[in-house]
Amino acid sequence: MVVTVVVNGTRVTETIPTRLSVTDFLRHRLGLTGTHVGCEQGVCGMCTVVLDGEAVKSCLMYAAQLDGHEVETVESLGDGDALSPLQQAFKSEHGLQCGFCTPAFLMTATALARGGEPLTREEIREELAGVLCRCTGYEFIVNAVERHLGARPGAADD
Amino acid sequence: MTDLDERAVTRPAMRIIGTDVPRKEDDRLLRGAGQFVDDVNRAHVVEMAVGRCPYPHARIRSIDVQAARELDGVYDILTGADIAERSEPIGILRPVPGAPVITHYALAQDTATYEGQPVVSVAARTRHIAEDAVELIAIDYEPLPHISDVDAALAPGATVIQPDALEDNLLVCNPQGRGDVEARLAEADVVVEGRFVVNRVTGLPMETRGVLAEWQPGARMLTARVSTQSPQLVRKQLAECLRLDEGHVRVVASDVGGGFGLKLGAYPEDVLAGLHAMTLRRPVKYVEDRLEHFRATTHARESVHVYRIGARADGRIVGMTDAYVNDLGGLNSPFGSSQLSTVVFNGPYKVEDGFVERRIAVTNKTPIGAYRGYGQPEVNFAYERLMDTLARRLDLDPVELRAMNMVQPEDFPWVNPVGAIYDSGDYEACLRMAADAVDYQARRAAGRGPAPDGRYRGVGFSSYVERTGYASSKFLAARGSLFGAHESVTIRANRSGGIDLYSGVSSIGQGSETVFAQMLSEVVGISYDAITLHHGDTGNSPLNTGAFASRTVIAAAGALLEAGDRFLAKTLRIAARKLEVDPAQLELVGTVVRMRADHGVSVSLAEVFTGAILGQGMPDGESPGLDETAYFEPPEAAYSFGTAAATVSVDAETGEFTIEKLVMVHDCGTPLNPKLVEGQVRGGLTQGLGQALGEELRYDPESGQLVNGTMLDYFVPTAADLPPIELGHTEVASPVTTFGVRGAGEVGCIPVAAAVANAICDALAEFGVELDRLPITPELVWRALEAGRAG
Repeated sequence: MVVTVVVNGTRVTETIPTRLSVTDFLRHRLGLTGTHVGCEQGVCGMCTVVLDGEAVKSCLMYAAQLDGHEVETVESLGDGDALSPLQQAFKSEHGLQCGFCTPAFLMTATALARGGEPLTREEIREELAGVLCRCTGYEFIVNAVERHLGARPGAADD
Repeated sequence: MTDLDERAVTRPAMRIIGTDVPRKEDDRLLRGAGQFVDDVNRAHVVEMAVGRCPYPHARIRSIDVQAARELDGVYDILTGADIAERSEPIGILRPVPGAPVITHYALAQDTATYEGQPVVSVAARTRHIAEDAVELIAIDYEPLPHISDVDAALAPGATVIQPDALEDNLLVCNPQGRGDVEARLAEADVVVEGRFVVNRVTGLPMETRGVLAEWQPGARMLTARVSTQSPQLVRKQLAECLRLDEGHVRVVASDVGGGFGLKLGAYPEDVLAGLHAMTLRRPVKYVEDRLEHFRATTHARESVHVYRIGARADGRIVGMTDAYVNDLGGLNSPFGSSQLSTVVFNGPYKVEDGFVERRIAVTNKTPIGAYRGYGQPEVNFAYERLMDTLARRLDLDPVELRAMNMVQPEDFPWVNPVGAIYDSGDYEACLRMAADAVDYQARRAAGRGPAPDGRYRGVGFSSYVERTGYASSKFLAARGSLFGAHESVTIRANRSGGIDLYSGVSSIGQGSETVFAQMLSEVVGISYDAITLHHGDTGNSPLNTGAFASRTVIAAAGALLEAGDRFLAKTLRIAARKLEVDPAQLELVGTVVRMRADHGVSVSLAEVFTGAILGQGMPDGESPGLDETAYFEPPEAAYSFGTAAATVSVDAETGEFTIEKLVMVHDCGTPLNPKLVEGQVRGGLTQGLGQALGEELRYDPESGQLVNGTMLDYFVPTAADLPPIELGHTEVASPVTTFGVRGAGEVGCIPVAAAVANAICDALAEFGVELDRLPITPELVWRALEAGRAG
């Protein structure tokens, strides 16, 4: 079947098999390999992307469902060689180690920032609980997201 | 970060070591531009799927691949017979002293000994087709009696799981010790004993294992991109298994999405992908899915410790013994069962008479391998639980009991009963700081019993030492290990005025690219930004060891120091010719060499390095080029140490509990990059909490099946699951390492479970609660309450 979707601001039309997942579509059709695969069960969250403004787990969706929608992946962040403020916050706070889960946290935080709601630190922890990290112990990730959302001292440094 | 007072020691003025420079790894990873195995693709790539034994123990009567071969898009199929003909068994890198070798090939031969063991392998146009083909392969299995626990495995008359290598299911028994410990225990005023059961868990890196194998016929060159912590060891093993000269194998590990010990050594799938690639002359990719990961990547930790401590009435320990059994699983993986429970069995306590005996049992479960801490969290749970039991028995304060028995600063170097040489430290200082951080005195003064909210509160401690790094290659050789204690680096000038730094260590999240560049910048004086790392590629760095055992910085620092010193000296000699001065008058700062006395007289590194590379700027008698390689092995292991403290509140009716605060005070010697150290410790603590509170791979005793081998069923802590965590540290430079460093990567895993268990037992002391197994669930606490009430 044919699917037309806006990915990172660019309109894409592709002919796809029906059993193709969104993750495989992004990674293998479009070469956007920043979106990772961790469990194919929607549990680990490595595949998190932003769909029409909401963070979703792309391994649980078929590419066919993207028709007429808009997807953003980690590759949309930053401008050329410059990191986005969110990415910079992760770098400043040491919010990543192996980096495999990082795109998923960045996209979750991207959707959170769009929401514009002020969040407490505990609420940020809850919101981030859909993505697993095995390296960092989360503390610095929470710091980075809190900093990006403007609640943490040091935000002005970015 | 913390309200703990910091007891910094004096150290030489350093420019960049000890600072939180931004990580070199981050920019690519933050863009999603890391190069994990599955992120790399090749034209004409073929994908591989593996058929696995669905039984814990089964004889393979026959395999019929006809229907699978006829499926459109299937290119190659391998069975056990093909493997035995075309490859060698997968070797063991870390043999167990005195143990017979259990031979295993990449695919099971006549018998499979664990659920998930590879039996057939298919290469096809896509992974979907390869998986479909696996389904079409008809395998006639004869299920055999299976054993899923060590007691049954070691019981007389048990089915022998590896009859070709063993007469029973005991792989080996390793006793070690010093003194007449039984006599000491007989004389002791009190002897406490406990049996502690440690859960089987998995490290669960977020990137599963993977391999992309490319074969270049004619040149007979195999290039394998592998998600591994030890590219050089995988190269050695692949060359052996595939009957290739080592010079014809290159292993590359670009970005590795977490390792934690699981990604050490070659796995069957690495060999299979290589064989398919050699047959098909096309690139072959295999990426393990998460269901396979739970069954086919090594598990860890499962063991039972029977521990005894004898003490005088005043609390002075006179003897300690540990008899433990490790559950090996169905065969001995390349890194198999750990010896570290033995090495540090007495923890930080100064005991002259001690004895430890390790037995390793074969069972029908996924093989055991290395996992963060590798034996040390297990034994810590045993002795630190028992220290609290001893304190209660003697009516002593558990903190004072620990303090009075700890090895003291004036005792170092101190040799423990199995010959481990503790290098230096102030163990008691960490304990005291942890006690202060949980307001221990105030808590003791407040007395016991329920708080106004009806909950019982308690505090628990766990002190540890951790061996980090290895005590020399000679030490390893005596134990038959097929790797060395060293690391090497190569540093090479480039025409832009920068240094290319080649390290064999793969980047698994530990930040070694950053820390290596910091150390080189420190030694040479060159700007951090002018250093480019090239890591994890045997094409550049064939003779390294790997990223494990908290050893890479310990070993690499010495190599960087030596190579850097030589590099700097030669750079200054070349610059001195250009500037027509004596080299002693010069210094390298940032991107220039300049006169110490007159900073205006300088030459850029780009000019100096270009002169060296062209060979046209050299002093008479100096060879062209500017690169240095150095090797270093530490003379001894450096022992990290510290204390964790937990405070809890418990509902004495239901067993439900909350960790109110977790404190960790540790010492890793000189922290090269404090932020990275904190990241490592927090990450380790979280994995330790996972093991303490919920992680457990459970096997159904009836069917022998792994019943929770999916992400939905296996508990992993999320950002919302963590208690407040506070860190502190002391800084005692190790005398046996460059820059005084100790390893920091694994310490977080070690003391958490015992600290939490001790806190709960403290809270529920009046009910006689003793916890002796992991994970600590509310149900476990409730059962212990019931048992305590029953007397």
